Amino acid sequence: MSRLFRNVARLATPLALVGVVALGALAVGCGGREVVRGSQEPSIDNAAMSTGLDKEDIQRMLHENLNNLRAAPIMNQWRTQNPQATVAIFPFANTTSEHIDSQLDAILSETESWLIESQVVKLISRERQNAMIAEVEGGRSGVFNQASVPKYGRQLGVKYYVTGKVQAADERSEDARRVQYFMFMQVIEVETSAIVWQHKAYVTKMVR
Amino acid sequence: MRALARLARAVAAASIAGGALFLGGCGGHEARTLRMRTALDEGDSKAALAAVNEELEVKSSKELPTEVVGDNALLVLDRASIQQSILAFDDSKRDFQAADKAIDMLDLSKSSLDAIGTWVFSDSAGKYIAPPHEKLLINALNMLNYLETGDLSGAKVEARRLSVMTRYMRDVLKESDNGMLALGGVLAGFAFEKSGDTDEALRYYDEALAFGAYPALAPAVRELLARGNYSSPRLTALAQSTGDTPADPDTGDVLIVIGHGRVPHKIAERVPIGLALTLAAGHVHGPDVAAANKLAAQGLVTWINFPRLAPGQGSYATPSAQLDGRYVELSQVADVSREVRRAWERIEGRIIASAITRMIARYAAGSAVGAVGSAAGGKNGDLIGTLLSLFTQAALTAADTPDTRSWETLPARVVFGRVRLPAGRHTVAVGARGWSRREEFVVQKGAFKVVSLMALN
Repeated sequence: MSRLFRNVARLATPLALVGVVALGALAVGCGGREVVRGSQEPSIDNAAMSTGLDKEDIQRMLHENLNNLRAAPIMNQWRTQNPQATVAIFPFANTTSEHIDSQLDAILSETESWLIESQVVKLISRERQNAMIAEVEGGRSGVFNQASVPKYGRQLGVKYYVTGKVQAADERSEDARRVQYFMFMQVIEVETSAIVWQHKAYVTKMVR
Repeated sequence: MRALARLARAVAAASIAGGALFLGGCGGHEARTLRMRTALDEGDSKAALAAVNEELEVKSSKELPTEVVGDNALLVLDRASIQQSILAFDDSKRDFQAADKAIDMLDLSKSSLDAIGTWVFSDSAGKYIAPPHEKLLINALNMLNYLETGDLSGAKVEARRLSVMTRYMRDVLKESDNGMLALGGVLAGFAFEKSGDTDEALRYYDEALAFGAYPALAPAVRELLARGNYSSPRLTALAQSTGDTPADPDTGDVLIVIGHGRVPHKIAERVPIGLALTLAAGHVHGPDVAAANKLAAQGLVTWINFPRLAPGQGSYATPSAQLDGRYVELSQVADVSREVRRAWERIEGRIIASAITRMIARYAAGSAVGAVGSAAGGKNGDLIGTLLSLFTQAALTAADTPDTRSWETLPARVVFGRVRLPAGRHTVAVGARGWSRREEFVVQKGAFKVVSLMALN
């Protein structure tokens, strides 16, 4: 009997080897998932998940641009103007290789909040703008057209509008993809189409 | 000692059972998509969607799997195509975008485990590397979704993504003759033309014209050349092929795109080792050829498993398109099946070679385990060693699933037509392989309408 046990014990080595091989063949990832709240674990906002724009990127580019606007001559002019200048915010053009439309909407909303909090201009509501865009574009069912922006401005009776565009240089190599974003913000005078303020900010994202 | 013999028998039985179970459980990617393909063959897209959703373990076609990684990315691509065929363009967009990112990440990821898995267990253990035509078609077909929904900005994003991939293929992979660029060029040219980006539109049309003459583009190209700065001999020749009739401002453009049939998918096949060595000649190293021949001569291993291309279907259908009852001339813009075969021919030898190498490795691993078992088994060592060797080989053979992964719901061919219509209400009817779409629409002055049909049977 004890000899049998010894034989079995000796067999354990090759059996373990076979087991490892079989387990390797079956190598399948099994792991539970957890949902994490940003307020409990702030670091989750730091990691870059893709080459798209995330909250961190948006805030960085916006802060840079809006801080520049804060000190710009047009802002000083607005501060002293009475009655307050009427301003509209129009969508930013996306000329990148990423679907960042929802992020651009977030940029618009953040800019809107910033201007309202600054209390130096009278801001036109986005709902009114959308109705007017539909009116101007007629058959095109209210789809915003960057080329018609001056016309929108005149129709709304605004003196200035804030707009911008996000461009990108997207490059791909064998083991990496890099997207360099350039966010331009502008304040344009409706009557003359003159650019009274412009600033740009950069963000680069990479997958490697 | 009788107990030891019983133990050996148990190990043998376990190996046979385990191997059978394993073989039954892992039929490879083509087995996972069999129900989907069968449903598409029957023209039942909803059943095909349900089959993919089941494989993805999601409850509805609007839901993405928790992680779009590995083979799931391919299933999401399959689902994107089916959603496009049932005109669920927004769902299709979301699936294409998710799969696009996942395929890109797979392509960029480096993992030594993948390489080890490929050389020890199975080609399907490695990460999926999408062939160039698949990478290009993700963006081209998603562009079609955006054009269908009138979203030029989204279509241009896809066009730019396509350009990034085209540049990568040209500069890094040294491949600039992929026929799928024609479809991408026609759609991207249209998106930029309708956005008023004249030179960009011309550049994309020029790319498309490198693969064929498309008379339907002639009037548009002539007008674009008149107001743009970009030009080329191909564009000029096409513009000159049409009359000088000035563009009527009271018209709109209709673009019709029809895909029909399905590309050949990969199937698992067993071939005799001799034939495999012939097919993989030039890809297998000398010592491996000698080892494989020795095994074959001993009658130990006579067959190997590896993937092959199944026949395609629906390539020779005749799609039709009518606008207000009048037939529209359609031109072929993509022979996807031909591109799939071309891509396969490039890698076939390498795939068979790695299958042969794995077969030799399996035999060597089995022999090593058998030798340890023989030494440990005492008086019955030979019997135990043989059984353990067989068990090891069975487990590894079972794990060696031929890599049958590919984007299976691509249309075999794609045709397009373009017509200028007076502004107002019109009726379009398109059909292919028994699938049809009929729709009334209003075209505005200077506006456009894109109508597509993907008959994936």
